[in-house]
Amino acid sequence: MIKDLVSALDYSECAISALVLFVGSFAVVLFGALRLSRQATNRFASIPLTDSVEDPRDGQ
Amino acid sequence: MSTSGTISPQTGGHGHAVGEMESFSYDDSIVRMFVTATILWAVVGTAAGLLVALLLVLPSLVDGLPWLSFGRLRPLHTNAAIFAFAGNAIFAAVYYSTQRLCKTRMWSDLLGRLHFWGWQAIIVSAAVTLPLGITQSKEYAELEWPIDIAIAVVWLVIFGGNFLMTLLNRRERHMYVALWFYIATIVTVALLHVLNNLVIPFGGLESYSIYAGVQDAFMQWWYGHNAVAFFLTTPFLGLMYYFLPKAAERPVFSYKLSIIHFWSLVFIYIWAGPHHLHYTSLPEWASTLGMLFSLMLWMPSWGGMINGLLTLRGAWHKVAADPILKFYVVAITFYGMSTFEGPMLSIKSVNALSHYTDWTIAHVHSGALGWNGFMAFGMLYWLLPRLYQTKLWSNRLMSLHFWVGTIGILLYIIPIYAAGLMQGLMWRAIDENGQLMYPDFVETTQSIVPLWWLRILGGGLYVAGVVMLGVNSVMTWLSRPAKYEVPVYTAPRLTITYEDHSPAPTSTLEGMPVLGFGVFVDKWLQLLWHRRWERLPVTFTIMVTLSVLVATLFELIPTFLIRSNIPTIATVKPYTPLELAGREIYISEGCYNCHSQQIRPMVAETKRYGEYSKPGEFVYDHPFQWGSRRIGPDLAREGDRQSSFWHWKHFEDPDSTSEGSVMPKFEHLLAQKLNFSVIPALVNTAHILGAEYEDELSDAEAIARRQAESIAADIVKQGGPAGVHEQQAIALIAYLQRMGTDYFREETPPAPSGTEAPTEETAPAEQVAMTQTAAEAQ
Repeated sequence: MIKDLVSALDYSECAISALVLFVGSFAVVLFGALRLSRQATNRFASIPLTDSVEDPRDGQ
Repeated sequence: MSTSGTISPQTGGHGHAVGEMESFSYDDSIVRMFVTATILWAVVGTAAGLLVALLLVLPSLVDGLPWLSFGRLRPLHTNAAIFAFAGNAIFAAVYYSTQRLCKTRMWSDLLGRLHFWGWQAIIVSAAVTLPLGITQSKEYAELEWPIDIAIAVVWLVIFGGNFLMTLLNRRERHMYVALWFYIATIVTVALLHVLNNLVIPFGGLESYSIYAGVQDAFMQWWYGHNAVAFFLTTPFLGLMYYFLPKAAERPVFSYKLSIIHFWSLVFIYIWAGPHHLHYTSLPEWASTLGMLFSLMLWMPSWGGMINGLLTLRGAWHKVAADPILKFYVVAITFYGMSTFEGPMLSIKSVNALSHYTDWTIAHVHSGALGWNGFMAFGMLYWLLPRLYQTKLWSNRLMSLHFWVGTIGILLYIIPIYAAGLMQGLMWRAIDENGQLMYPDFVETTQSIVPLWWLRILGGGLYVAGVVMLGVNSVMTWLSRPAKYEVPVYTAPRLTITYEDHSPAPTSTLEGMPVLGFGVFVDKWLQLLWHRRWERLPVTFTIMVTLSVLVATLFELIPTFLIRSNIPTIATVKPYTPLELAGREIYISEGCYNCHSQQIRPMVAETKRYGEYSKPGEFVYDHPFQWGSRRIGPDLAREGDRQSSFWHWKHFEDPDSTSEGSVMPKFEHLLAQKLNFSVIPALVNTAHILGAEYEDELSDAEAIARRQAESIAADIVKQGGPAGVHEQQAIALIAYLQRMGTDYFREETPPAPSGTEAPTEETAPAEQVAMTQTAAEAQ
């Protein structure tokens, strides 16, 4: 059945679908990342700077 | 001896009550083990590279020692450099940084030791089997099936299991970006390894790939390119995101950029493999897709480079004084260069010039020596004093290593870029009469030999730098304390259920005259769900796996299921039993390291080698033998070009038939007898994979012997020695004489009653060729 389904496809559409899929995902990640608060990113970025457990460590 | 570490408060972030206080320490002894292995294999891997470079300019250096020939040692060099040196560096980085990023000890010390010794055993197995000619012949996946099974177990079950359990038991809620790269590495490498190494074994240590020809090539380069991506890029980016901020004592430049380039890399990289197969028999759509995604890779790759270099903002004065930061800066710069060059090489018109030439070798080495090597060296020099709890033995030697290594890289890659360009231009040069300007292939090789000598000088300097690292490491180790201090940290375990007290997402659209769906989308785009994934390792791992799988399936399903991708050619028949045995010798000797079997549809290629290769010609090739490099000429149409005695003399002394050839002698093939008794196993396995055999299934050995006697008789007629029908060379000659000949063979006329029009499956070769040419012209 999968074979029939795939045979019926115009496989050049695979390439177009791939691009659409990527562009969509990229737009979402980009938009979301840009909306991250500076406070959160600063805290995440400082995690490797110390080997000790620091407070607050439960932050989102 | 234990010392007291930092004591954390009893409350977690936002003042939530958390679990009871626990004491823990980091396991640095496993990091010391991997660091030692990294340095040891760095010496071995780079020295092996120097030896194979020497063999190209001095092919007679190891005459009489077949296990040290170029074809067998080159895979040893690549495997040692990638899986032994880079692999152990990755593990050292992961074991050191994961514990500290998760604020917990690795989940299991025992699994850590099993991982270490299992991986070293795999490397030693590779070092033994490859020189013995036991290989699958797939680049960077040469190891045979028992070792492949061991890799899958050690990598995924032992290493992956220990890593995931450590994440689950961490004391830091947020998973730092370096951990994301490690997750992507572990998941994707496992997937690539398993899918590319699906084989049917025969004998104790040999196998046939379940894929053939075009599909095998596609699968191999899906693997090959992503081995670069997920073994030599993502883990090293993870390493960069941890060790660079540590060394520079400042946080990464942009955490937002790290999120964007992480997901872009993971999603895009997996599509790019087909750019290794431009103008081959791969379907055009797959090749174009590979090129497009390779071009898109430039953006996220440079995202990583920019993030790395800008992490040093305000700290460039430290770079001038600290060789460790110098290593990092040069490494990241080479990463930027390689990831610009990679997309450029994937453009078809550029690839038409660069493919099969030394340009690819220069590109690979600028990445491997510059990016991977220098990132690893920077990490090792930063770790050595911390792991051995003493000062580095010699900062001056470290600095000398940096300069010698940098000059070594430049002396390596610049001549090889020039060599690649010369090869590409000479191969395609056409004179005013429309003829090849350099029809003698050896002439094109000889013209770059001086550049190969310069490469040896550069490589020698690089190896010297690695030896300096080894000396510095040993001397530092010798000045270690009698007993290492083990700081003990105290902190509560994270609560199993996390109560997110941050305010619920709000939308600026609320209360405005928009649909509820619009408000939902606005909230969704705030990516709080991504923040949630970043706290959930299993969910995060599943998402990474899905990203990789979706991209993979988009390429794999059409390639494997659409019949028209590989038009059948009626005259292409399975190999004879003796030819199968000869093919095994071809694989075992590593001939694919120097000879391609794929003629591209370009005037210069068809003039030099003959009719361009068709997808249907490779349907019985398990595994495919297209190769990726032409140190010697393409062999796709080698059959019937030379006499069998010519081949015999060529194996005995290549220089006698092709003056100036850099091919080593294969005298052992003339002296050693072929083991005819293994041929039935080859035939049966090929039959399982679809080769149509009849008498061969019951009488393979006798059929092989008859063909061997016929070839031996030809050799005698052509003036060669008598009584050679049992020698290994005869089987190899049988295979060589068959290459590319089926396409031109006349199909047996149909029975008189046959009035049916030819179908695609039964069309004569010429007709299929015309159809393909017409399709390609459109």
